[in-house]
Order: sequence, then C-alpha cells, then structure tokens
Amino acid sequence: MGLGCVEEVLKPTSLDEVLSLLQERGPSAGLLGGGVSLVRYAPSHITSLIDLSTLPLNYVKEEEGRVKIGAATTLREMLDHPLIAGYLNGVVVKMLRQVASPLLRNLATIGGALVSADPWSDVITLFLALGAHVAIYDGTTDTLPLAKIYPIRSRLGGAILTELVLPVPLQNAAAAFCKFNRTGFDIAVLNCACQVQLHEGRCVGATVVVGGTPRLAASLPGAEEVLTGQPLTSETIEQATVAARDAAEVREDRRASAEYRKQLVYVGVRRCLQEIKGQLGGGDR
Amino acid sequence: MKITLTVNGMRRELEIAAGETLLEVLRRAGYKSVKKGCGSGDCGACAVLLDGRAVNSCLCLAAKADGREVVTVEGLAKEQKLHALQEAFLDEGAVQCGYCTPGMLIAAADLLSHTPEPSEEEIRQAISGNLCRCTGYVKEIEAIKVAARRMRAGDDG
Repeated sequence: MGLGCVEEVLKPTSLDEVLSLLQERGPSAGLLGGGVSLVRYAPSHITSLIDLSTLPLNYVKEEEGRVKIGAATTLREMLDHPLIAGYLNGVVVKMLRQVASPLLRNLATIGGALVSADPWSDVITLFLALGAHVAIYDGTTDTLPLAKIYPIRSRLGGAILTELVLPVPLQNAAAAFCKFNRTGFDIAVLNCACQVQLHEGRCVGATVVVGGTPRLAASLPGAEEVLTGQPLTSETIEQATVAARDAAEVREDRRASAEYRKQLVYVGVRRCLQEIKGQLGGGDR
Repeated sequence: MKITLTVNGMRRELEIAAGETLLEVLRRAGYKSVKKGCGSGDCGACAVLLDGRAVNSCLCLAAKADGREVVTVEGLAKEQKLHALQEAFLDEGAVQCGYCTPGMLIAAADLLSHTPEPSEEEIRQAISGNLCRCTGYVKEIEAIKVAARRMRAGDDG
C-alpha cells in the first residue's frame, strides 16, 4: 500500500521548475499525474514526486481545428467535454467508456495514460489510429507524432509530456474502436482501431492499429495497403481483415492463446471497418 | 508532511507520510466506512468522493488530496437522517455482507449528483468499478433507481 519509499511531494509552479527538479533529483524523481500507475506499481527507486496538478495542464480546447488536451486532464474530464464528444462521431468517448472503471477514470490523467504506454492501452491504440501528436517540453515545446514517442514509453529523458493533440478531422473520414476483455473493466485481451478516409468512393487513407497482442500497439501496413485505392466494400473489408490477421504479431499470455488473439484481430478489425462503412456509406454495388 | 482536507464538511489538518494513500490516511483519521479491499483499484470498496467525483482512495495519494474536499459514507447522512441512497439500500435489501456497500453508495452518489435520472445502463456503468460477491447487483441497481426517483420527487430520505 502506498509508496513507502517516497520522501517528498514537490509542487512546482512552472514547467521550467519541473525540469530543474527532474535534473536535480535524477532517476529518483517521478512525475505525479493521477498517480494511478505509480501507486499500483510502486517503483522502489522513486523517492521524490513532482506533482503536476499545480500546473495549468488541465484543459480541453480547440485551436485551428485541432483538439488539444492538457496532460493533467482526467479521462472523466475528457469524457464530459463537448469537443471530445463531437470528435469524429464520438469515437474517443466510445473508447474512453471502455477504459477501466468510472472510479479509475476520475483519477487517471491522459498524460499518465500516454507515458505509461501499457501494451494493452485502449487510449494508445485509438490515438495511434487517429494520427495524434503529443507536445513535449524540454525548455522548448516540440510536437511529435505519438507513434514516435510511444515506443520509448516513459523514457523522455528529463522532458515532460504536456499535451495530446488530436489532428483536424479528415474530410469524409470515420474511425472506430473495438475492445475485447474478459470482464467489464479488465484490461484488453486485444483491442483495435481503424480510420478510413474516402474520396470519390475510394479509400485514400486507412490506418489499422492493433494493441494488447500483448506487444506494444502497432499499425498493420499490410492491411492498410489492401484498402488504399479501393472502395470500402464487404469484399475489400474481408481482404483487409485477412491481411490484418496474417500480419499481426501475437503471442500468448495468461489472458489468451496466440491462436485466439489471431482470431480476435480478424473479428475486431472487421467490426471496426464495418462500423466505418456504416458511417461513410461504403461502396457495395 | 501536513495536508488540509475538508472531510464531510469539516476542515481537518492531518500529518501524513509523503507516499501514503488517501485510504490509509482516512482510516487512521477514523473514517472507517472507507474499506480496504484489493488495494489495487479493482474492487471499489475504498471509494470516496473527491471534489464530488468517486475515486479509488487506495490509488490516490493523500498528498494529491491536499486542499480538496472529501466525502465518505459518514458524510452522506445529514442531521441524523440517512441519505436517500442509504434508505433505498435498506428498503430494497441491497446489502448482504456489507463490505462493498460504502463504495457502492459513494459511486451511486456521484452518479445521482451528476445524472438525476439515470438509465439502467448508466447505473450499471456507474457501479462497474464496485465488486460485490453476495448480491448479484440486481438489488443495488433497483435501490439506486428508487433513490433517484425519491430524490427527484424531493423525498430524499
């Protein structure tokens, strides 16, 4: 229970102060968002916590069509925000409702969810499919693709993840998310998310991402290529789904066998693409 | 370190260890309705309202609650009168062993304060982080519906 090794909780008033504290304390310092992962996994090397809730990192706002979410915003605050509800037909809300329990969503922050970068993360899988970016502060702010940051997980080298940036929704595009879990708020046995953009009835862009394999979430370029240039029909969905199943690198753990996960990739990607087809009108003749 | 909490409307200054959870601190301060179950955010027995939202106090560091408002089940009843949810849980027989009940009441209080007329789906979703091994949830769901009806009618127990 608790974090017995922690000796101090620091409450900085600026991002630059956070950077100085990280530099002074070195690896013994940990950033405190909602604290859910920290308390649950209780890393014994962390003796100083730097509380980010004192900084102005709790917001959801729109800038030039992009939706920006501060790192200290809780998943519940995201769920309740009209900008999130209105984003791509509510796909983010649909995903968030499936993350853990309401009690945990009231504590967990989006920044924590992104830097924890658990392989089963529902948040990461969807935001990879949407082409989200994250803002990283190390004295200056760089906005980088989540896909670039995610594989290095929390090793940001003394920098701070300050913001999630959802891109301007693509024209004539839709996205869908699908999760398989054993109980209501268990972590995913497997999850997947897809986004498809149509132009004159043909796919001009498609992303297919699968997570909880149980490796880190990853896109499946083979399945995406099958769709590109094609109309979104039952036939092309079947082809892309088979390609996704064949390309997905899955393995077994205590939640599921590799064979079962392969089948979940097939079912999950198909459900996502069918949902997208339903939203966009598709192209069956 | 010292923190200041408003617990059930009363300002409390509490001495805590930096890494202690809100659950540990509240129980030590005498709020025994806050139960320790799994200690890992799975069962919801430790739920309290933090600034009006139900959270797992076992995963919330007490230091993060500094300056904020906490409500435990001890704070639901007002002037010797049980909260509508407590009355409804009694009336509907929604309690067996009782260990999950405080967390369940807190999760339901969060729901009804933000959604006075919840659907059954919303009720199920709201208590999805609260595990009960006795009742099968049917009577809790019914009790929350009854409490919501009574609160809307102004008869809040």
